[in-house]
Amino acid sequence: MIAASRPRGDAVPSVRRRSWSALLWVAPAFGMYGVFVLFPMLQSVQYSFYDWDGIGPATPAGLDNWKAIFTQPELLRSVVNAFVLVVFYTVLPVGLGLVAASFIRELKPGAFSTTARVVLFVPQVLPLVAAGIAWTWMYSSNGLVNQVLRAVGLDQYTRAWLGDFTFALPAVGVIGVWVMLGFCTVLLLAGIGKIDPALYEAARLDGAGRVSEFFAVTLPGLRRELVVCTTFTTIAALASFDVVQIATQGGPGYQTMVPGVQIYRLTFLQQHVGQASALAVFLAVVVLLVIWPIQRLGREK
Amino acid sequence: MRSLTHYCGTFRAAGVAAAAALLLAACAPGGNSEDGPVPSKPASTGIGSEPVTLKLLVTSGVDVPFYTALGELFRAKYSNVTVKVESQDYATLTTTIARTLAGNNVPDLVRVPQLGNLTKDHLLISLDPYAQAYGWNEWPQSQFASTRVGPDGRERGTGSLYAAGAGFGLTGVYYNKALTRRIGMTRPPATVAEFEQLLSNAKDAGLQPIMINGKDGGSVYPLQNLVMSYAGDVQAVQDWNYTKPGASIDTAATVKAATTLQRWGQAGYLPADVNDIDQTRAPAEFVKGNGVFFPSGNWQAPGLDKTGSDQFGFFLFPPGVAGGPSYAMTAAANLGIPARSPNADVAAAFLDFVQTDQQARQETVTLGGLVPAGPADAPAPTAPEGSAVAATVSAFQELLKSNGLVGFMADATASIHVNSLIPQTQLLLAGKTTPEAFAAKVQSDYERDLGR
Repeated sequence: MIAASRPRGDAVPSVRRRSWSALLWVAPAFGMYGVFVLFPMLQSVQYSFYDWDGIGPATPAGLDNWKAIFTQPELLRSVVNAFVLVVFYTVLPVGLGLVAASFIRELKPGAFSTTARVVLFVPQVLPLVAAGIAWTWMYSSNGLVNQVLRAVGLDQYTRAWLGDFTFALPAVGVIGVWVMLGFCTVLLLAGIGKIDPALYEAARLDGAGRVSEFFAVTLPGLRRELVVCTTFTTIAALASFDVVQIATQGGPGYQTMVPGVQIYRLTFLQQHVGQASALAVFLAVVVLLVIWPIQRLGREK
Repeated sequence: MRSLTHYCGTFRAAGVAAAAALLLAACAPGGNSEDGPVPSKPASTGIGSEPVTLKLLVTSGVDVPFYTALGELFRAKYSNVTVKVESQDYATLTTTIARTLAGNNVPDLVRVPQLGNLTKDHLLISLDPYAQAYGWNEWPQSQFASTRVGPDGRERGTGSLYAAGAGFGLTGVYYNKALTRRIGMTRPPATVAEFEQLLSNAKDAGLQPIMINGKDGGSVYPLQNLVMSYAGDVQAVQDWNYTKPGASIDTAATVKAATTLQRWGQAGYLPADVNDIDQTRAPAEFVKGNGVFFPSGNWQAPGLDKTGSDQFGFFLFPPGVAGGPSYAMTAAANLGIPARSPNADVAAAFLDFVQTDQQARQETVTLGGLVPAGPADAPAPTAPEGSAVAATVSAFQELLKSNGLVGFMADATASIHVNSLIPQTQLLLAGKTTPEAFAAKVQSDYERDLGR
């Protein structure tokens, strides 16, 4: 009210007034964000310094929960496994997605091109739990994967994939490739659609082949989409839970244990809410540290 | 109303990370440490004549028709009581039970997968007054040992009673009668060595000696059985299960048991893909004839009998030396009374009813696949001659008398099963850990879980 009574032309108060009214508009959203996002996040940080079962009284635990992450081999191992999954959830789908999108771009719009898109995108529509169950059958001793190997005479390579110490983690990773490939392809296709066709024409006129066209036009034109793809899939890999929980429960041994499953067990099974919070906060920080350079890369001119 | 928590919220929303350390001390999460147990009403064996709805929360699956049938029997006796059965799957119930019981809409009786912190947090009432009133104290007490919790809220096997159940699970070894005839088995093996010889015969005959689910913990059963058979005594295992101070499983018997199990794995007595077989697939494969022996529990018996009676037999895991004691793992399908239940007296009456009523005890076997315990002189329920169910019922009666019933090592702590026993047994069978390292690791995980 005081601001409103001042004479017009007084620049500083008018800016202040505008920012105050802006705050008013932001307040409801910020309130929700604060209550449902910031508050729980900071609460997790707080819990990580306590020994608490989620119901009874909590006792301060100092840095014990944090030390455990680095001293308990199983906890650290799960973080390492999550990084192995990045190869399958991010590197392969983005790489293959680029190739697939480039090929689909060259297809004439029609039944085949549509089918190709649908087939690639379908896994993205399925719930991950359903995908996990379906792949568990495919990987079992008499499942589709082994049937195919037997049919082509590769009997010596058949195995219970998810029960095999060497192949369980890559097998889980392949499920990730299957799920993420469609998402990346569709996003990259949309990105390619936005690239000025004149650029392709110019490249062709300059005598560029398919490969140099890809590196000179397609790849730079997809910078933003690539950043989105990489960010999304990296988070999915590091925070993975559903597929592992359904397909292997972390086994055999500790071979496919990931932080997501550990956090779940610590919270709900062991009722070590403090330890779970510490691991969750640690995971969030790791994700941010990984995502940050990717985002920087996207912003550069 | 500017309470302390209000200030905490304001500061946190501002995201002042540096101030966090100060605040943490100011408002610790969780309940008040001075919270005592809910003052209990005097226990009564009367259930009144007012209409009462008794809400049961059990695990989904066979438990639902089973408890529904028990509820109808109970209603036939007490017409003012309606029993309403709700269910959650076992894994979900395990993870949500504490929050359910701390909430406002609590059941009157709840299936308790693990006692965990439920007693420490005063979420279940002590059944001691009812045990006194109904005379449960006169029954064989081994059936109640696993649900007694000491005053520290952790050590089991001693202290107040917090849960009781209609029936018990029981482990042993199922065998395919046709296949065992082929390998020349005329009677159940008398020793572990004799059992191992039968496994070898089966292997030589081109059969799969053992079918077992290594993915979700089936291979932990024979391991514990071997530990007990080699030790010839179960006190060490029982103390360990009940988290008695100083208990250790890192013993010569455990190392020997792990050595034997590993040898069985390497000799091909266990399926090649053992770590990929889960508890749904193992019985299905066994029924198909893939496997001469199937170490598992009595909960499988009704399912096995469905494929045709007199096809499958059951024997207790053989002792280490001939004539030695037999042991089996057991766990009751425990029900507890939530502290916030308004119908504790009726719930206790129901608990007494399912343990003592002859018809209810019969349903426990027929529908639940479990063996009832109850008073020493209660008649055993009947089952068709030659069926797998009949074999498990008689084995249980035998063990109840000889005190051969032991809890599952898997239940010692909330996570020892999924975080230690399952992965370590998988490593053992894959030859990726040694029997000595196995025993040491399980013990160190156990101590870590208990904060020792």
